[in-house]
Amino acid sequence: MTAANPNMKLGLVIDLDTCVGCHACATACKEWNGASAISGPLADYDPYGAEPSGVWFNRVRHYEVGAHPDSKTINFPMSCLHCEEAACVSVCPTGASYKRSDGIVLVDQDKCMGCNLCAWACPYGARELDQCSGTMKKCTLCVDRIYDERLPEDERQPACVLACPTHARHFGDFADPDSNVSTMVRERGGFSLLSELGYVPVNQYLPPRDVPAVAISTSPTAPSGEDASASALSRLIARARAVLAR
Amino acid sequence: MPIPAEDRPLPQSPATTRRVEYSTCYMCACRCGIQVTLEDDELRFIQGTRDHPVNQGVLCAKGSAGIMKQRSPAKLRKPLRRKPGALRGRNEFDEIEWDEALAIVEARLRAIRTTDPRKLAFFTGRDQMQALTGLWAQQFGTPNWAAHGGFCSVNMAAAGLYSIGFSFWEFGAPDWDRAKYFVLWGVAEDHSSNPIKIGLDKLKRNRAKFVSINPIRTGYSAIADEWLPIRPGTDGLLALAIVHVLLRDGTIDYEFLARYTNAPWLVVDAPGTSEHGLFARDRDGRPLVFDDSLGSVTSDVGIATVPALFKTLTLDDGRHVATVMTHVAGRYVGDDYAPAAVAERCGIAADTIERLAREMAHVAFEEAIELPIAWTDVWGRHHDKVVGRPVAMYAMRGISAHSNGFQTCRALHLLQMLLGALDGPGNFRARAPYPKPIPPHQLPATACAPGKPLTRAPLGFPMSPDDLAIDEHGVPLRIDKAYSWESPIAAHGLMHMVIANAVAGDPYPIDMLLLFMANMAWNSAMNTGVTRDLLCAQNEDGSYKIPFVVVCDAFASETVAFADLVLPDTTYLERYDAISLLDRPISEPDAPADAIRHPIVPLDRDVRPWQDVLIELASRLEFPAFTRDDGRRKFVDYRDFIIRFERAPGIGFLGGWRGERGDEPLVGAPNPRQWEAYEKHHAFFAYHLPDQLKWHRYANREYLEFAQDVGFIGAAEPIVMQLWSEPLQKFRLAGQGVYAGRQPTDARDRERLATYFDPLPFWYPSLEGCETDCAKYPLMALTQRPMMMYHSWDAQNAWLRQIIADNALYVNVRTAHECGLADGDWAWVESTHGKLRCRIRTMEGVEPGTVWTWNAIGKQGGAWGLAADAPEATTGFLLNHLICEHLPKRGDDGRRITNSDPITGQAAWFDVRVRLTKCESGEYGTAPCAPPLADAAGVARPAVIRWPE
Amino acid sequence: MKPALSVILFSVLSGAGLGALALMALADLAWRAGVVEAPWSPALTSAAAIALVLVIAGLCASTLHLANPRNAWRSLARWRSSWLSREALAALAFIPVAGAYVALHASGSPSWTQALAGATVLLAWAMLYCTAMIYASLKPVRQWHTARVPVAFFLLGHASGALLIACAIATERTATNGWMVAAVLLFVLALIAKIEYWRFVGASGITLETAIGVPHGVAPPRREHARPRSVAARLLDVGHSKGTFLTDEFVNTQSHSTLRAMRAAALIAGFGIPLLWLASSFGIPLPGLGDGRPDWRVGAMVWLACMLGLTAERWLFFAEARHTVRLYHGDRTT
Repeated sequence: MTAANPNMKLGLVIDLDTCVGCHACATACKEWNGASAISGPLADYDPYGAEPSGVWFNRVRHYEVGAHPDSKTINFPMSCLHCEEAACVSVCPTGASYKRSDGIVLVDQDKCMGCNLCAWACPYGARELDQCSGTMKKCTLCVDRIYDERLPEDERQPACVLACPTHARHFGDFADPDSNVSTMVRERGGFSLLSELGYVPVNQYLPPRDVPAVAISTSPTAPSGEDASASALSRLIARARAVLAR
Repeated sequence: MPIPAEDRPLPQSPATTRRVEYSTCYMCACRCGIQVTLEDDELRFIQGTRDHPVNQGVLCAKGSAGIMKQRSPAKLRKPLRRKPGALRGRNEFDEIEWDEALAIVEARLRAIRTTDPRKLAFFTGRDQMQALTGLWAQQFGTPNWAAHGGFCSVNMAAAGLYSIGFSFWEFGAPDWDRAKYFVLWGVAEDHSSNPIKIGLDKLKRNRAKFVSINPIRTGYSAIADEWLPIRPGTDGLLALAIVHVLLRDGTIDYEFLARYTNAPWLVVDAPGTSEHGLFARDRDGRPLVFDDSLGSVTSDVGIATVPALFKTLTLDDGRHVATVMTHVAGRYVGDDYAPAAVAERCGIAADTIERLAREMAHVAFEEAIELPIAWTDVWGRHHDKVVGRPVAMYAMRGISAHSNGFQTCRALHLLQMLLGALDGPGNFRARAPYPKPIPPHQLPATACAPGKPLTRAPLGFPMSPDDLAIDEHGVPLRIDKAYSWESPIAAHGLMHMVIANAVAGDPYPIDMLLLFMANMAWNSAMNTGVTRDLLCAQNEDGSYKIPFVVVCDAFASETVAFADLVLPDTTYLERYDAISLLDRPISEPDAPADAIRHPIVPLDRDVRPWQDVLIELASRLEFPAFTRDDGRRKFVDYRDFIIRFERAPGIGFLGGWRGERGDEPLVGAPNPRQWEAYEKHHAFFAYHLPDQLKWHRYANREYLEFAQDVGFIGAAEPIVMQLWSEPLQKFRLAGQGVYAGRQPTDARDRERLATYFDPLPFWYPSLEGCETDCAKYPLMALTQRPMMMYHSWDAQNAWLRQIIADNALYVNVRTAHECGLADGDWAWVESTHGKLRCRIRTMEGVEPGTVWTWNAIGKQGGAWGLAADAPEATTGFLLNHLICEHLPKRGDDGRRITNSDPITGQAAWFDVRVRLTKCESGEYGTAPCAPPLADAAGVARPAVIRWPE
Repeated sequence: MKPALSVILFSVLSGAGLGALALMALADLAWRAGVVEAPWSPALTSAAAIALVLVIAGLCASTLHLANPRNAWRSLARWRSSWLSREALAALAFIPVAGAYVALHASGSPSWTQALAGATVLLAWAMLYCTAMIYASLKPVRQWHTARVPVAFFLLGHASGALLIACAIATERTATNGWMVAAVLLFVLALIAKIEYWRFVGASGITLETAIGVPHGVAPPRREHARPRSVAARLLDVGHSKGTFLTDEFVNTQSHSTLRAMRAAALIAGFGIPLLWLASSFGIPLPGLGDGRPDWRVGAMVWLACMLGLTAERWLFFAEARHTVRLYHGDRTT
């Protein structure tokens, strides 16, 4: 990307079919944004003690669906969905929370008073208070990477997308119906989280794919017991001879 | 109401300079390439190197958290010596200078070397420089060296090297791009972590079916198309039941078997004699086959030969023989291995097994891949295409860490051989320098002498009882008893037996235990509590039974506390390293590869890279390989050593940019500017094989000639895969008392050899299980690695420990209910050996007879720079306390046998059986709980981190 | 939701103050219009002054909730979309208007009082409404996103305000039962509203299955052409071993016994005790609470008890609210 384009809807696709829950995205994000001028340092409290916690923009949660032995384990990364109707922006009293013309929702660290209301308004838990700065922080869609011309073009992507080892995260423009992300959503039945709340999240999740159908080889009708072994053996011997004679 | 768009100016970073360096990650055995961005010379961002063969730009959580590793307060700062009068294990040290530390070690080593080199036991943990440490040990003259493979996953490496010429483990990789059916056996996050992740995504996009066989449905298994919740330790039954179906249906690759395996070799049938079960050979020792086109027996295999797969006959000399394949069919076609016969023990329905086998057969034979690549096989046959049977597999610890792991892994390789699915398009491919002869031509040292290097490397691959490292009474040469009757094919040693054997003086006491990155006083021990006590065991006069313990590590681990002398190492961003083809390679199937690390961050404390310390000691002690004829040292430092050391002419530790002008790949004269060449090329070297060298390399003439040229193999001969393993049969004959050579005298050894050294894969119940009351201890207990922590090595990382700082025991929902347990309860977990207390979590995705927890999360308070009340110490726990390094039964003579695979000595820590009891109210907290360590000098734990401030 | 004392005190104290001022100003207007017989009295001026102090104290308490208060002055910026901004604006208008209103009454000069009375009522109601809407506009909190919330804020604010006035009136012994009747009515209505709210709070909302997309196919693998089954979801691991801002703010749950105790406290102190005391003003003698005539000293204690009871009620308002983010932390439903 080279410049902020108005009317873009930048966001992510998260593929639940390939996410193995490794937390690479969460850590790469923490690493990039900790030293980013956009949000400032992301505090870590009691880092080597009894209650280690800190500010993260991206967290990976894990669920089970169904019952044994037919259960499925779902690894579920969650970060800001950069909603079109972002309530976190409209409830913000100071105007710290705002949405750009390219769709990215940001928190202006100079204006935030730390009232938490945006966090209350966000159904997804995308925003966290940094106790050290007293301000709310969240995913910036790595706005300082995607437009940074010092980076090679294929690295102008969010840190989480670059890091993901199973390529379960994709970055693109949802306003473009032919973009990678729009195509994926169309082809895989991507969905919004909690769409009934009306926030129109831009980030989309792809559900697991169906199981590929695999045909099975034909089995000779065989009785069980000693006869079966004997006839199987003789068939095997005959077939071996036939194949190798060719 | 639509949100109005606003574009405000964004805050800018104040950094004035930005620099990118390349190196190799260090967090696990993957060795991904990393791209490190520094701003104003401070670490700013670590990401994957985009064009690196291993990770292709991605990076896992561990690698991405490298900055916090670098900033850990647990970093050791200076050499330490145990305070006079202080007890071992208390972390009571004085800081000393390097000169003094090296002088102490040098003097002690010199004394050991000139009297009895075996008194040095040098064992390494999760390091990646075994080529150097192994060379050092060999030059020192002690056989008592190994890395941690015997504890970790030697069964995978050994089974492959004795069967197909490469292995799961690190010597092979699935063909992710072309596989149409992929079976993952017993793999949690493991050796190949990022490549597996990249590969699974490719499989999914290509609509290949991904089947995971694992008792637990997390991680990779979470995204499997089909999850088979197998009972631990029964994978061999499942594999052989699939073999049964393939044989029954005749859906096997006859041509592959006839050409590339020993299926047509003639096996002597002479029970009670020393020849029984060995191959019939001609006078030159070449194996005999029956050539259907000639109608006679021959040892001369060429293009025109049509070797019979099934033949039983009597040779001219009167010996009765039958082909290997005859034995194979005879064993597995019968009802013993029918799906219905194994279903109950595996916990997988018979019709599921049947379907699995027939899906594999369908994909292998009806959906074969053809690549239009012409190649010539080693017998001169010209092929105009490469045919691939696109059924790929990968397997790891769930197979390995059982006492039946070697035979189980061989069963998987048997399955691959029957499907013809080896080193072809879409299946399981070798990674350079493999494939190698079966097994590789390297025998272990069987003798040592003071002041002299070993004539052979400490580790190797025995082919018969005559290659064992034992004396005429059967007493082992090695402290861990590797290559003795108890663990004959112990290809990676038995690290887990060292301390117990040393303290017991069995086979002999040692003087110095030298540990590098091996947390043997904690999670790298099977029997943690007892091992820690043993490290402090004293003689009557108050001296320690292990007189001197030297620990080298970069961080203050639990084991550091037990040292008498601590030699502090650098972090991975502060050192040179060679990830060598002579060691554990990072090659891709299409490209032999190696890599380096180089210092990116300046050293800010008085530590030294371990390799430089080794070179220094080797030079001071005047090891021949490190000393010139005139007595001066050969190498200045590690950097110099890597450039100029040649194992054979033209073959060094690094294969890239060799030759004086740096233009000779893989083999060539030393290049004095080799390190600079790597630094310029993103810290790695990859040699892309031309297409006709990429496939069926065990029989690919051009490849074998190339491999010989570059020193991967000794001779360009076909590598014939071994369905029937003659080395195993020789050991079995020794157990039966008819081997023409060395034989064991102890009845227990004889029984083990006779029972387990079956030349064909078979399944047997675990050794520990056979000596345990399974009704009293009904549950199997496993551990698996989480994806963001590698053994004990990430609790010192402030970011990663926020994700996982303690662990609980996961139990199937219904099983928990039957035990009277609810999610979150505290419970006692008991084995025959020990008891621990931990918290329970319930889940659906676990086989009902299995409980599990994350590996190595539990820590001792105060270690790793953590506070005494860190959750790792108060609610995290180690399952290791329940596992014993010996089997329960004691012989009449009091002898205890190692709790390991009887063939390889692989620690069988997944064999442990447990039972659960709910705690009384008021009983909670981790037990046993080691008292917290006092902080080492200089450990400063900030209350808040605001990196990068 | 984490019950934050600063915000709780704000809404309880300010609510009482705003309710009291609105009622007094309404009565003032009604008297001027000849609808009622109750003229302004010095007791009402005192009550109004106390009410204004309550409003200001509440507003000050609310700023303690801010993690970065030096930017608090910016909170007027987004009145177009933010209820919090609107409330700040309403407060900024209300304080001088109500202050002037009280001052005029105190100085005895009635010239502007009618206009100011009207403005006071409207602005007080605006503040109450904006405060309530801060919560009621939040869709992720099912227990708040209902008209029941502004209704309850109104009724509770006015009831506790009326109680304050009743105490003040009791000092003058002029026994205007009107205020007592109004107070009783308001408390009864507020009690009904509260009980209905607690029934509403206990119902079910969005489920964990919906939250993670089970209806969209986030489910166990199906063989091709198999029918989708409805399956249950559960949390396996929340992704961090210890707490986070989210667990602290939204997830930490109080025990059932604590919640029951708080409900009991709210009912008894917030409603029961005031109603009993108010009953005594109708000539019903109650031991300890009055001899049939309201005693303002007892009234003051009753009012304090009521404030404590309503603090418990407001505490429950937070503690019993289940934000949707809890679903992602393992709650079965909101």
